[in-house]
Amino acid sequence: MDDILKDVTSAAYKEGFVTDIRQEFVPKGLNEEVIRTISALKREPQWLLDFRLDAFRRWQKMPAPSWGHLDLPEIDYQDIIYYAAPKKDADRPKEIDPELARTFEKLGIPLHEREALAGVVAVDAVFDSVSVATTFRKSLAEKGIIFCSFSEAVREHGDLVRKYLASVVPAGDNFFAALNSAVFSDGSFVYVPKGVRCPMDLSSYFRINAAGTGQFERTLIIADEGATLSYMEGCTAPMRDENQLHAAVVEIIALKDADVKYSTVQNWYPGDAEGRGGILNLVTKRGICHEGAHLSWTQVETGSAITWKYPSTILKGDESSSEFYSVAVTARRQQADTGTKMIHIGRGTRSRIVSKGISAGHSQNSYRGLVRMMPGAVGARNFSQCDSLLIGSRCGAHTFPDIRSANPTAVVEHEATTSKISEDQLFYLGQRGIAPEDAVGLIVGGYAREVLSKLPMEFAVEAQKLLSVTLEGSIG
Amino acid sequence: MGHGKYIAPPKGQYQVGAGQRLELQFVVLPGESRDIEVTVDLTGPGAEVDLRGLYLCHADEQVRFHIVMHHMAPGCRSRQRFCGVAGGRADVRFEGTIVVAPDAQQTEAYQENHNILLSEEARAESRPQLEIYADDVKCSHGATVGRLDEEARFYMRCRGIPDREARTLQILSFLSAVTPPERAEEVERAVRNL
Repeated sequence: MDDILKDVTSAAYKEGFVTDIRQEFVPKGLNEEVIRTISALKREPQWLLDFRLDAFRRWQKMPAPSWGHLDLPEIDYQDIIYYAAPKKDADRPKEIDPELARTFEKLGIPLHEREALAGVVAVDAVFDSVSVATTFRKSLAEKGIIFCSFSEAVREHGDLVRKYLASVVPAGDNFFAALNSAVFSDGSFVYVPKGVRCPMDLSSYFRINAAGTGQFERTLIIADEGATLSYMEGCTAPMRDENQLHAAVVEIIALKDADVKYSTVQNWYPGDAEGRGGILNLVTKRGICHEGAHLSWTQVETGSAITWKYPSTILKGDESSSEFYSVAVTARRQQADTGTKMIHIGRGTRSRIVSKGISAGHSQNSYRGLVRMMPGAVGARNFSQCDSLLIGSRCGAHTFPDIRSANPTAVVEHEATTSKISEDQLFYLGQRGIAPEDAVGLIVGGYAREVLSKLPMEFAVEAQKLLSVTLEGSIG
Repeated sequence: MGHGKYIAPPKGQYQVGAGQRLELQFVVLPGESRDIEVTVDLTGPGAEVDLRGLYLCHADEQVRFHIVMHHMAPGCRSRQRFCGVAGGRADVRFEGTIVVAPDAQQTEAYQENHNILLSEEARAESRPQLEIYADDVKCSHGATVGRLDEEARFYMRCRGIPDREARTLQILSFLSAVTPPERAEEVERAVRNL
């Protein structure tokens, strides 16, 4: 069993290659000058620069949070490059650098439309700090859907951005959200107009390439009244032995009767077997649901040295609803503190939380969740189910739910279990000629199935693969 | 500490050694604001702990439970059940942590906290936590905050049971698992006066 455990902790990181292309940097460090430079490089309007500077001044007064069940290394914010962009080849300004295209190809993203046709997804690929290509834009535009990089949205749809930016995650919300608001580089912007059903899954793919750079992605999704959309996000990063910072902010606005589905497969570099390097994934994701709206979060977290992430929903409108489905896998010396917050404000609001944690190796995996029933949440309902699976005796699995109710007609239910893969299950499968590794794969697959089944199809395939790679031969 | 049964103990720290068993019962009746802090260390193999708590609030009481159940040795079992009813402007909070140390294999630890809110202004918070550092364990917790079941009450009323009596029966049955038999009458009186 020990040998096999060693395999888990040493399973190679497939996406760990570095793309060698020329990049443009802003000098290391963080001060108002750097923020002004970023803003100028992106030719941003004055209001956005003011927003950044305001956030920066708030951030300077905030202490870094320490409440997570995490051993967070000291981060030197002056030792980070806050902006890196692939240099455009002057001769071919409209084309994607072939080297870059190959990187995305290796990652399996269908960047060219003809390739994308096979998968029928629209991809907004973000390479370090700028969005390099957005496919399918035209066919979406016919329906009035805007899907572009955040910087482009600032230029072309400034009013929409200005109206909704920081309306769900205010600039001073928390330490990392404030940092992001000050230095955010790029991300995706989606707007689906009234009553429109987005005809395909929208997808963004983030990748951290440059050494010593942080990625500060900012995504804003707006679903107007009665609109429907599904958004997918995937992440990888090359292998490096230093920690890289990823502090993203995602805001989702679901107006009356809108329906939004947000799926993530996160596979950032987790660090090596001794816990050196890896991505520090410190992310704020939050959505607001107006009357009758629905927001569904699905996440599969297999990467990052540290994950600090709580996709949350504010159920503001009456009869709005939200779901959170999560599979978090930690191996080696990874640490994850992840979960959700459901804030019930409106009458008859509904939420459901299903969280499946799997810890192996020397990792620590925590679920942290808040369910809050405000005085106005008449007849609101929540159900939470959090399960943890332990593989090996050196890992930890923790559950920290927080339930607060201020309404006698609201009902909140939470249950959690912790267990390991039982000898009986393995024996049963072994008896039928199934090798221990396959047996573990089957059991873990079954355990995570409820969540994986919520993913858009092509993501589900990738997620299944990731699960089996991460846990390859995890028990004897 | 030997084999023992203690009723409504004060704040305390308990150590339960190999093969020993500890039972604690907490009863908080209307009008009492209490802050109960209990830490139990299971230090020897085969130790067993059973905690039960009941709380009834009808005015502006504040009831707090801080329970830490620390499994430090292998093969121990612990079970916690806390049920309470809050009316008026009462504020009840339960915070309970189960910690299973790295070598405390074959641990079985269960924890439940159930709350019923009877009034608009009553508040309930529940924070059951699991911190587990061993793999061969069976641990679970459950927490709920809710109201009395309307359908059950309707069923009783259809059969001629007055509304008030139906409500009393519902609360008594909700609390029955954590009511010590010797204090059952006292609890029933309190429920009737809620």
